[in-house]
Amino acid sequence: MLEVLEALLSSTLEYSTALVFAALGAVLSERAGVVNVGVEGMMRTGAFCAAVAALSMPTPLGVLMGMIAGAAMAAVHGYLCIRWRSDQVVSGMALNLVALAGGTYLLESLYGPNGTPPITQLSRWHLPFGLAEVPLLRAFSGHSVLTWLALALPFAFHWVLYRSPLGLRLRAVGEKPHAVATLGLSVQNLRWLAVLGGGALAGLGGAALSTAVLDRFEQHTPAGLGFMAMAAMVFGRWTPRGAFLAALFFAAGNALRIGLASSLPEIKDVVPQGFLLALPYLLTLLLLAIQGQRTHAPAALGVPYEQESR
Amino acid sequence: MFGLLLVAACKKQEAAKPEAATAEAPAAKNSEAAAPAPKEKPLKVGLVTDVGGRGDQSFNDSALRGLELWAAGKKMEGDGYQPASAEDIKATLQMDLLERDPPISPVNITPIVLQSKVPQDYQPNLQMLADEGAALAIGVGFMLENAVEEVAKQNPDIKFLLIDSPVLSGDNKPYALPNVRTAVFREEEGSFLVGALAGLATKSGKVGYVGGMEIALVKRGEAGFRAGVAATNPKATVLVNYTGSFDNVAMGKQVAQDLVAKGSDVIYHVAGSDGLGVIQAVKEARNSGKQVFVIGVDSDQSHLAPEAVLSSMIKRVDLTVYEAARDLAQGNFKGEDLILGLKEGGVAYAPVRVDFPGKEEALQKVEELRKKVISGEIKVPTHPDQLVAAQPSP
Repeated sequence: MLEVLEALLSSTLEYSTALVFAALGAVLSERAGVVNVGVEGMMRTGAFCAAVAALSMPTPLGVLMGMIAGAAMAAVHGYLCIRWRSDQVVSGMALNLVALAGGTYLLESLYGPNGTPPITQLSRWHLPFGLAEVPLLRAFSGHSVLTWLALALPFAFHWVLYRSPLGLRLRAVGEKPHAVATLGLSVQNLRWLAVLGGGALAGLGGAALSTAVLDRFEQHTPAGLGFMAMAAMVFGRWTPRGAFLAALFFAAGNALRIGLASSLPEIKDVVPQGFLLALPYLLTLLLLAIQGQRTHAPAALGVPYEQESR
Repeated sequence: MFGLLLVAACKKQEAAKPEAATAEAPAAKNSEAAAPAPKEKPLKVGLVTDVGGRGDQSFNDSALRGLELWAAGKKMEGDGYQPASAEDIKATLQMDLLERDPPISPVNITPIVLQSKVPQDYQPNLQMLADEGAALAIGVGFMLENAVEEVAKQNPDIKFLLIDSPVLSGDNKPYALPNVRTAVFREEEGSFLVGALAGLATKSGKVGYVGGMEIALVKRGEAGFRAGVAATNPKATVLVNYTGSFDNVAMGKQVAQDLVAKGSDVIYHVAGSDGLGVIQAVKEARNSGKQVFVIGVDSDQSHLAPEAVLSSMIKRVDLTVYEAARDLAQGNFKGEDLILGLKEGGVAYAPVRVDFPGKEEALQKVEELRKKVISGEIKVPTHPDQLVAAQPSP
């Protein structure tokens, strides 16, 4: 029983990492009032660039490149949505399509259809002082530094958003941008900051997939994880801690699905395998339904800022 | 009439797509360089991969080896074909393949390879081969069954080879087409032997099986593996899980990590590209000090992780493809349905290159079992349901 729990916990930690980063990135962008449907595309770009960079430089630098690539994609989004006030959903979807097709094209022309050559993976941390042998605690051993970062970042982000002047301004830009402008602050600059930061976080999530979970960029990366991240953001009510818990929950659902199938083979006689495969998504639907109708989205979300409008 | 002409013209244009052209042009050049005076014009043999594609280190690569390296004597380097030396070919021939009579040596053919990105590509790709003037078109994988059936009916003058499935009618009944050769493999027999090996190599008494999609041939792998483990180590538990896909490396890794965390120390995968994730999970578990082995599938996957790969269940897709091309070149290709097991040399297990306690005896035992399967003394179950009756479920 203990080892079943351990496997569940370890798997949840390992596979929630990318989801947590991407969900936080989405929260950052949307709290400032810019819809970010392009998370999937930014993750893909980040994953690809991190793996390609890591072929010729140390992997941590590759991860940094992945973040920069994610931010670069976000810059396109920002240019269209903040500078030219175009439709934010359309722009995000366009980014997703560009990243999907562009990634496939570059991958095929540079390395062949299936993936990049293997890179040096981010090193994994093992707990010191024999803690790695203690049951249950063992599950925390053997993850990359990014997993630990994903555990700490939501709380730091929470502090910034709710306890610092910058956080107040970011939230205000998403709720009532005109009030921010009245104070003499630049709505555009604050939104740029949030969009670029969100892109970098999504890129980091992608980089986690290609440098920590696997040791290469694989053709399907991130395989819908970006959309899961958006669901985590909504389910987490646009708060860092909420999105973090939601991401953990989704990852745990997936780990549970895998763990159930191998630990309780009898379950397959009762529940069809297809149903098990859909379990994480069904849980998501169920919870969104239970959560109720009250909207928690920032008031100015998706509304381009125009100085003249009232 | 004009309509027909128009269709023909369109098809010509389609056939001139760059992908096909690049695959062919350098090949033609090289074959002139390698064999200065080929008396007859080489026959074109086309191959359509499934979505796994070139570089899956497994099923598709095996078929490509049979066509490009063995039958055409060429290897893919960078963007085009280079002539392969006799050593290149010999290096890929294992065990009994070296002693085959007649020996495996290149025949007078030119390969054309088309890759499929999505299932919708299968039929157009096969038709493109027909338009290109291929004498034989090979569909790699059960997913191409429908496409091969359709295109074979439309092009009765062209020969076809379909791997992993017979031609099926609308109600899933196999039937024969005169210009189609099909080959299915007894995966359960090969899996039985690697299962027996796993039963002997495990120390924890737990072994794992990772399947891809839950289809008949993957189920055959599970049944054979579990029967094999039970044959040499009746007390051992087999943990079974399916990834639900053949092209999701991360999912394969996650499923394998779950099995490792639950104590399996030998894991066998029949999961296509997901299997690359399984191998990686085992490699990482070894790096953190666990004594775990993985058993590969389709091709010898030892080179992916020399320390971690115990053996591989080899499916001789390469040999089947090679023999089809050879038969074509020699003018004795005929449509037939082949069922290839241990006896026919259609499945085998790769040489065991790692060490574990009791390796010698284990290999002897596996060889004994191999002979028993070939002689028919042991009948290997083809579906996990047949096991449940014979032994308690794990």
